[in-house]
Amino acid sequence: MARVKLTDVKKIYDKNVVAVHDFNLDIADKEFVVFVGPSGCGKSTTLRMIAGLEEISEGTVEIDGVVVNDLQPKDRNIAMVFQNYALYPHLSVFENMAFPLRLQKMNNDEIYRRVTEAAEILCITEYLNRKPRALSGGQRQRVAIGRAMVRDSKVFLMDEPLSNLDAKLRNQMRAEIILLRQKIDTTFIYVTHDQTEAMTLGDRIVIMKDGYIQQVGTPDEVFDMPANLFVAEFIGAPKMNTFPTKLVREGNEYFVTPFGSKIKVDGAKGVDLSAKNVKSRDIILGVRPEHIVLADEKRDDTIECTVQVNEMMGSELHLHVLTKDGTQIIVRVPTINLTHQQRDEMVNGHKIYITFEGKVMHFFDPESTNNLL
Amino acid sequence: MSEKKHMGMKAKTRLSNTIIYIILTVMSIVWLFPFFCIVCESFRVESTHQVGYVLPKQWGFDNYINLFTKTDFPVWFKNTFLIALFVAVIQTVIVLCMSYTLSRLRFKSRKGLMNVMLILGMFPGFLSMIVLYKVLNGMGLTGPNSIPGLILVYVGSSGMGYYVSKGYFDTIPRSLDEAARVDGANRLQVLTKVMLPLCKPIVIYTILTAFMGPWGDFMFAKYIAHASSAGMTVAVGLQSMIGTPSALTANYTMFCAGGVVVAVPITILFMSLQKYYVEGVTGGAVKG
Repeated sequence: MARVKLTDVKKIYDKNVVAVHDFNLDIADKEFVVFVGPSGCGKSTTLRMIAGLEEISEGTVEIDGVVVNDLQPKDRNIAMVFQNYALYPHLSVFENMAFPLRLQKMNNDEIYRRVTEAAEILCITEYLNRKPRALSGGQRQRVAIGRAMVRDSKVFLMDEPLSNLDAKLRNQMRAEIILLRQKIDTTFIYVTHDQTEAMTLGDRIVIMKDGYIQQVGTPDEVFDMPANLFVAEFIGAPKMNTFPTKLVREGNEYFVTPFGSKIKVDGAKGVDLSAKNVKSRDIILGVRPEHIVLADEKRDDTIECTVQVNEMMGSELHLHVLTKDGTQIIVRVPTINLTHQQRDEMVNGHKIYITFEGKVMHFFDPESTNNLL
Repeated sequence: MSEKKHMGMKAKTRLSNTIIYIILTVMSIVWLFPFFCIVCESFRVESTHQVGYVLPKQWGFDNYINLFTKTDFPVWFKNTFLIALFVAVIQTVIVLCMSYTLSRLRFKSRKGLMNVMLILGMFPGFLSMIVLYKVLNGMGLTGPNSIPGLILVYVGSSGMGYYVSKGYFDTIPRSLDEAARVDGANRLQVLTKVMLPLCKPIVIYTILTAFMGPWGDFMFAKYIAHASSAGMTVAVGLQSMIGTPSALTANYTMFCAGGVVVAVPITILFMSLQKYYVEGVTGGAVKG
């Protein structure tokens, strides 16, 4: 259990390639923080700097108030789970999990107690005598987590632990990590490129791109109030629809005018815009697929589209529709409100009218791509 | 139809296997024939010189008995064994440490160092023979005291023999080192508790080659021991037994017996270690 603080941390490779720029983050004790971003954004590098596996080029990393820049990984009291499991192939599952304890010269009884306890939690008791090669991918990853669990480490680091598992197992393990977290209650830093993992696991999410932090916030914050276009498009699946359009102010009311329609900005968003005294201007409008609704008929606030692709997901349809000028928009339609006839109609070439929920639209500056609010 | 095709495949496989086995058998005979001759010669008692036939007319252990009672062979054998033992231990430690360092640690001029060693390795070792002799002679490690001298010579350049084991170390995933370091291991523990158990075949290979070297080396051993029988290794000693035409006539079969005895320790070592000489110990370490 510990607080982790990164101050102006930088990673420079070969004197000129900057992988991580001025990374500042204060992670509270027992917090679960997720670093998320596309490959090459510096998230793993940052984690490895905390672990001591990469040298810190500039800045400081503190664990529990102690600057650990010059400490070896073994002296940082951290546990880490690797993407490719990194189990010791010559040792049995038991010995793999006992490895860090044996290095601490712990007595055998205590080692036995801790390993069997962890094995029980992870449901791998029956495999304790096997070698890693006799285990499936999911079981191997459990062993790797077990090896990290048996120690009372201050910080639990996980570097894309679920990336090598198939989709079903990944969902299952994700739920288990949430349970695990409740059991071992320590500081977690988790790296992933999967926004679903980030949203479901993290108390706070750190979204990174090209070595820069784009936004730090709770899952709600980054979803509801993305700091910029990158975050808006990265978080949420299917990704947010974005297109250039105009924001029009009429008195204290705001409208957006995509594809010849005129849609009113409702609720808090409208209040915030007027509080900030935003004038009429060009914007990039962001609308999540689930915030688009079908309209029965043509109105001022509707956009005429034709269905291009209809993906039936079970509880909802993902419609890829084209506006008249050829812009593609993705719409999520819950199937529960549709009749069979309506569902069957949604085929290639079918004409529909859509409109946007006025209170959950996002407005971005076309140049800086930052959120206007 | 398909069964016929299947049978055809089977017959083809059998035919190609037969051809392969015939070739292998011929090659083995060509390889083994000289050894067979030497073993036969060592048991021949009717004459001591070279003869025009292979199988002895009279079999016996006379040559072996003479070898151990009438020559300094036990001394040479002990010398060589001592040298081989020391060299095997020291050289293995140095080579493995060197390989680990070059495989895992990144430091300035690492590449340069490897290139220099590569180029140095291209020069034949005996270029340095005169200089080495002068140095060892100055230290009093020649003639009858040549054993520590020879150990120094053999061990001296062992760091350069890192290629094979470094190549093997490179195939062990780095994340295993990293996991071990996070788990609380220092560099030495990473080497001894993770890398070496995984690299058993290459460790065995290193021990074997280090142990075998001194048994076969003639040039340095001869040069450093020169005429002193107390400082000779088996290669030098056996050669001195047949150094002149008259000695060759008198000692040839005994020389062959010496050759057979020399093969014994190496064979024992090889056979006892070969079960560790297996591949595939890394399965299941990492995804992939």
